Amino acid sequence: MRWLSNLSRRSAKRDPDADLDREVVFHIDALARDYEASGMPPGQARRQARIDFGGREQVTQQLREVHISALAEAVRSNARAAFRFLRKAPGLSAAVILTLALGIGANTAVFSAIDAVILRPLPFPQSDQLMAIQQYDTEGKSPVTFTAPIRLEDWNRLNHTFQALTGYDTEDESETSGPLPEHISNAIVAPRFLQVWGTAPQLGRDFTPAEERFGGPDAVLISNRLWHRRFHADPDAIGKQLHFNDHARTIVGVMPASFRFPDRDVDIFTPGPADAPYAQDRKSTWYSVVGRLKPGVTEQQALADLSTVQHQLGIQFPKTDGDLGVRMVPLKSTIVGDIGSSLWLLYGAVSLLLLIACINIAALLLARTADREREISLRFALGASRRTIVTQLLSEVLLLAVLGAALGIALAAGAVQLFHHFAASLPRAAEIALDWRLLLYTFATALAATLLSGLYPALRSTRRQLAHTLAQSSHSQVSTRGSLQWLLVGAQVAFAVTLLVGAGLLLRSFQELGRVSPGFDVSHVLTLQISGGWGETADMKRLTQRIHTDLDALRSIPGVEAAAAGGWQLPGVSGQAQIELSLLEGEQDNSHKIVAITHVISPGYFHTLSIPLLQGQDCDADDGGPPSVLVNRSFANRYLRQVTPIGSHLRTVVQDTMMPTAIIRGIAADAREDDLNNAPSPTVYPCLSAPTPSPWFLVRTRGNPMALAPTIRAKLHQIEPARSLFAISPLEDRISDSLTENLLRTTVLTFFAGTAISLACLGLYGTLSYLGRMRRREMGLRLAIGATRPQIVATLVAQGLRIVALGCLAGLAMGLAASHLLQGMLYSVTPTDPVTYAAIIFLVVIVAVIASAGPALRAATTDPARVLREE
Amino acid sequence: MPPEKPEKERSDLLQGTLDMLILKIVALGPVHGYGISLRIRQVSRDVLQVQQGSLYPALHRLEKRGWLLAEWGESDNGREAKFYRLSAKGKKQLSEEEATWRRLSEAIGLVLETAH
Repeated sequence: MRWLSNLSRRSAKRDPDADLDREVVFHIDALARDYEASGMPPGQARRQARIDFGGREQVTQQLREVHISALAEAVRSNARAAFRFLRKAPGLSAAVILTLALGIGANTAVFSAIDAVILRPLPFPQSDQLMAIQQYDTEGKSPVTFTAPIRLEDWNRLNHTFQALTGYDTEDESETSGPLPEHISNAIVAPRFLQVWGTAPQLGRDFTPAEERFGGPDAVLISNRLWHRRFHADPDAIGKQLHFNDHARTIVGVMPASFRFPDRDVDIFTPGPADAPYAQDRKSTWYSVVGRLKPGVTEQQALADLSTVQHQLGIQFPKTDGDLGVRMVPLKSTIVGDIGSSLWLLYGAVSLLLLIACINIAALLLARTADREREISLRFALGASRRTIVTQLLSEVLLLAVLGAALGIALAAGAVQLFHHFAASLPRAAEIALDWRLLLYTFATALAATLLSGLYPALRSTRRQLAHTLAQSSHSQVSTRGSLQWLLVGAQVAFAVTLLVGAGLLLRSFQELGRVSPGFDVSHVLTLQISGGWGETADMKRLTQRIHTDLDALRSIPGVEAAAAGGWQLPGVSGQAQIELSLLEGEQDNSHKIVAITHVISPGYFHTLSIPLLQGQDCDADDGGPPSVLVNRSFANRYLRQVTPIGSHLRTVVQDTMMPTAIIRGIAADAREDDLNNAPSPTVYPCLSAPTPSPWFLVRTRGNPMALAPTIRAKLHQIEPARSLFAISPLEDRISDSLTENLLRTTVLTFFAGTAISLACLGLYGTLSYLGRMRRREMGLRLAIGATRPQIVATLVAQGLRIVALGCLAGLAMGLAASHLLQGMLYSVTPTDPVTYAAIIFLVVIVAVIASAGPALRAATTDPARVLREE
Repeated sequence: MPPEKPEKERSDLLQGTLDMLILKIVALGPVHGYGISLRIRQVSRDVLQVQQGSLYPALHRLEKRGWLLAEWGESDNGREAKFYRLSAKGKKQLSEEEATWRRLSEAIGLVLETAH
């Protein structure tokens, strides 16, 4: 039975309560047996034993308390001490709480953005299985990364690593049920679209196979946004019809609100039949491809698999697929883009700010514990252990940190609202929100802040020797403590200056960016689009004619100075395609590739944007004449030195219907077509008014461009009653939208740096005030023996400035070391920009003088007579 | 039964002393709670009227502080009982307490003598 008793022993261990009881019962039994042995009757013996023992339940309860109360008791007494501290030092407490609220709040706000944009998965099930896939020309001759529907079907059929592959493309259409045509963004989706996303319609159903076949029933899924806008979230919307120019489509389902793909502006999803006659050409490329990996398959395996598939296709279709390769990245990275580096930069900055806040508080607490030396010594003398006292001192800080964190969360909530407002154009901005994860993060931050700011003061003030200071005067230790506090001030200044360097460089860069001439006149230009379907591209002649009619109508409006179409891209907004070309004239030199940005334009483009024509002439109306092209000066200088530019012929290396062999008609001045950040690069302007059914229209107006919007709307409705106008806004806004990330980064970092230097100055002010108070006697004596007040002020200010200067130097060095983090974010400013560094030194000296003047003046007004009397 | 409050005060007063007594008894060898209560009565010749139940919170406190180690084992009459023995830490504590106690009682003795 040994195993049995072992078992019971083990089970007893698992239940401490039963253990307690057993011990008590054993005692009472043993006592009763002893009474019985001495001759007492059994019943009486038991009773007597119970009486001797005392209340059995009471004792077990007491035992239980022994086991739990140690912790509870410590928590309670420390909390009481913390609240007492709050009451006794309200000023200091408020300062600490506010500083931490700012530090923790800003930190939480930035972290919430990092969490939503980078850390959290996309809002789809197992979203890490989603991959964005592109085809690309392995010879670099074609910029096309979209995929032909027929190739997508091949990929989907032949691979072994994907659950499914699908694709999408958007076009702008007009819904014509209402009195005015309404602009609708239509995502044409390949088969298996919802399967890949793993998302079901919130209402209704997915497309049926019949609906995904060419000539099948016209079905449409609508976005949650359109459902609310048009149908006021009425469930009866299912089965209703939407009308587009020549046909109607039946609504079969409503997507959930969280489904914002391909982008949040999409209104409807329509099936793109894989068996449509126009989808059989391997060169008709339009889909952006997304695939869902099978469980357990890695990105590399899938890429290898798909590359093999494409290689086989290349053998099977050498003409169209021979030079094609496959590229793949996790979908998330294509959505998040490179905003990650900006966010991590800001996170680093805001963490540095919190560190400064903690150092600041540590200095405050050190000054405070100096005042409490007697209290602490007394507690030691009364037998408290060092751990108890340190715990209590830390509890006080923790309470302040938690209060600060609570306030900080309120601040962060405000900041998140600001994010939504000012950074709406950034990816995933709408997903930024405070939730329990962030509350947890905030609390962890508060704990870290407590340890950072409270541990050192607590340990220092409870050093054993301190017990001996009970008998000493508190004045004697000033000099040593002073040096420590100066170190803290210096550290704050150094970190603040590090931030200032970063912010200063970004600010200077932004300023330079504002000063740069884009090469075209951004002001007084209105941008707009007119809806059109891809079906129109079947008759290019008619489409081109239509665009010209629209342009003529725009030009006829009073107040319009010029109008032109600019293809897919707006000038000054990044994302222009690079293309490889060949020159027919002159010597063929294959070692020097001709690569240029392509921007298709209609006649009047240069006039509308005020880009000077240097040679030759503008585009002709492209209505059947030989194809023509203009180039910019950079292109002519780099590639056309050997030939007479005007009249030479350019051709794309990969034959492309968009730009057949074209004759060079003219040379335009350089303009920053691709992002204002980038210096102009070689650019070709094929004369092509209608490369897409809804090209960007650019309208130069005499006055405020938006003021003309209603007139333009009315005029175009008159000639195009079935089309809708959309995306009407000034070109200036479009370009500044493309600078949102830059602006946000600069503004926020500047705000952090400003806060940091303010905190550092508060630290300087506090330390000088404290030391001034401690050295009152010395100042009084000095005054008494003949020092002048200006001398006293100068001494103190000089002391402050010396520390600040040292901190500033250290900060500049750290800033210089850290400035490489800003690489790629700086425009025409080097990380060693002397202007920035000079400005920072100037700023720091000014604020340091201001911060130290007050305490110094106060110390100098000490009345020597009074000090001497106090002795 | 005596009223509650004075009883509690008395045990508070005895707290430190009781702890030392327990440590002293346990130092002689592993012993269970009942054995400790018997020893206390024996050595103090019934002067220290400790209610037997109040022994246990003290035992558990000492165990929690790491001065006592406890283990379940078989008692003389074959039943399971919880045995306590002194830990190394407890040994140190006991000698410290004994020293303090001796100093204190000497001092008090001195005061009493000189007060005559």
